[in-house]
Amino acid sequence: MLVWTKPGKAIVWLAFAVVFGLLVVAPFVVVIAAAFAGSWNGVLPSDPTADHLRQALSGDELASLSVSLQTAFLGGLLAVVFGSWGALSAADTRFKRLADAMHHLPIAVPSVVVGLGLLVAFSRQPLLLNGTKWIVVIAHLVLMVAFSYGTVSAALERIDPSYAEVAASLGASPARVLWRVRLPMLLPAIASAAGLSVALSMGEVGATIMVYPASWRTLPVSIFALTDRGQAFVAAAEAVVLLATTVVLVLILDRLRGRAAER
Amino acid sequence: MTVQLQDVTVHFGRTCALEGLDLSVAAGETVALLGPSGSGKSTALKAVAGFVRPSRGRVRLAGNDVTDLPPAKRGIGVVVQQYALFPHLRVADNVAFGLKAARKPRAEVAERVGEMLEMVGMTAYARRFPRELSGGQQQRVAIARALAIRPPVLLLDEPLAALDAQLRADMLGELQKLRREVPDIAIVYVTHDQSEALALADRIAVMRDARLVDVAPAAELYAAPPSAFTASFLGGANLLPVEPVEGGVKVAGHVVPGLQAAPGESLLCIRPHAIRLEADAVPGGGGAAGRAGVGGEVLGVQWRGAFNQVTCSVDGLAGVTVRVDVPADRRVPEVGADVSLVLPVEACSLVLADGC
Ligand SMILES: Nc1ncnc2c1ncn2[C@@H]1O[C@H](COP(=O)(O)OP(=O)(O)OP(=O)(O)O)[C@@H](O)[C@H]1O
Ligand SMILES: [Mg+2]
Repeated sequence: MLVWTKPGKAIVWLAFAVVFGLLVVAPFVVVIAAAFAGSWNGVLPSDPTADHLRQALSGDELASLSVSLQTAFLGGLLAVVFGSWGALSAADTRFKRLADAMHHLPIAVPSVVVGLGLLVAFSRQPLLLNGTKWIVVIAHLVLMVAFSYGTVSAALERIDPSYAEVAASLGASPARVLWRVRLPMLLPAIASAAGLSVALSMGEVGATIMVYPASWRTLPVSIFALTDRGQAFVAAAEAVVLLATTVVLVLILDRLRGRAAER
Repeated sequence: MTVQLQDVTVHFGRTCALEGLDLSVAAGETVALLGPSGSGKSTALKAVAGFVRPSRGRVRLAGNDVTDLPPAKRGIGVVVQQYALFPHLRVADNVAFGLKAARKPRAEVAERVGEMLEMVGMTAYARRFPRELSGGQQQRVAIARALAIRPPVLLLDEPLAALDAQLRADMLGELQKLRREVPDIAIVYVTHDQSEALALADRIAVMRDARLVDVAPAAELYAAPPSAFTASFLGGANLLPVEPVEGGVKVAGHVVPGLQAAPGESLLCIRPHAIRLEADAVPGGGGAAGRAGVGGEVLGVQWRGAFNQVTCSVDGLAGVTVRVDVPADRRVPEVGADVSLVLPVEACSLVLADGC
């Protein structure tokens, strides 16, 4: 602490609380309040109701949640596979820097641009994916690969190469070294890459909004559409559902990661 | 010869880590690679194990050229400095790793693992994970893992460097015992500690700046070092410039009779414990003729328990200090006292000046 006097400390804490409260806590509180508000005309919401939440958990909106979950698992987990694969292949080669750059490209450019690129690329035969759920999954895959690659790559750099060398000297084939030594040692990093990918995928809008077909609308896109139509309360209820789902997922994946790290 | 290195040269990018190494190790022999940090010892080991590819030269195992074989096909036991025990496997599974890779029947694996753990005294720890072991215990497991595959060659890279002094002394004894348990395998032992090399090795190969300086049986290398570098690195010998004269050599005005200097040999090498210190009868020096040895002055005394380590300057040799180990039961001269350094001719040898 740079400030030592009591009033000085109090002022610093107050300033922090105001900024943190305004920027981080307030939006959450407002969204949660709105989700349960029948109307909001004064300073505070009134007519508490669970109708919005019920609506958010039925019909089309429930389908959106299911779409989001499927996309996150499919896209996120494929991203972990490809990201880990890429990191393992690029490690200790001359192409490491090039591979780093390639993998980071999708997050360096705006996600809308990634979406547009995919739309243009996959709107024609022989690769006609536009209008199917696969173009959404691919968009998420492309974006999440960068994070998985980065996480696994960083973990790989911290692992002493002598583990793999010793394993080889004991007669293990390269495949055995990979499955029995390198991958198990990378498991905590791979699990945390999975958590990150699923969480990010659950909230992705930029690229999804460019490519999604009517039959495959993710939850964030629904929220965006509802808000656009002026149904802010239902949108807020959906946001609460999204928030809760993501938190639960991340907690579960974190437990798994903890288990992997313990072994 | 079980291991044979012929002109082995290794480059990392532009740095040359090993230059033209010729060395062979027979079955049942222990050869120590001794040298200061960065002298290429680990690199030589990695070339034998197959972890690095030599840019020149051949590596042979039992007469077969293995230079182009991957490590997995060489069947060599390797223990690296930090042990590299697989953290996700229990002790028993670490030891079983090589046997499982060779797809040995389950019963045989279990038996061999039990045998190995017993040999290194780690049977009680079979179910533990590596992080639940002390440094010394980890080292035993690493050795058991390497020996489980019955390698004809065992490579040890500074196996004691990560341990504290007391444990190091204990493990040195364990390694000597281990040597007797596996009498037929060739061992290459990398170290920068001369006492480990002297205790364990049949022959010592001294390395410096990516090159092999000298290789000879340990006792021979200690008694009559062929080079100044080996003399000072192995046992911390004193090196004094000499001139050849009739019937001997002259050191700082004093003639040591009976030494024959071959061409180029211009340094006298003597161990710290071989020099005898005598107090001068005439303070300030009574001239070279009256002395039993070389004149000098005591610069410092450090008590080392069993002996006192005395440093002396030498009259007429500016910049040269001599280390003398005086047994604790002998009288130690005061700092600043004038002394004679007696150099018994049987403890002296002459070496080439090679720039150190
Ligand atoms: N992977 C590498 N990449 C680049 N240079 C290396 C590599 N490994 C070793 N070197 C260089 O090669 C030289 C010899 O290294 P080596 O590890 O064989 O030394 P060493 O004798 O084992 O030293 P130490 O006692 O410190 O372990 C050093 O100059 C080192 O910097
Ligand atoms: Mg080394």
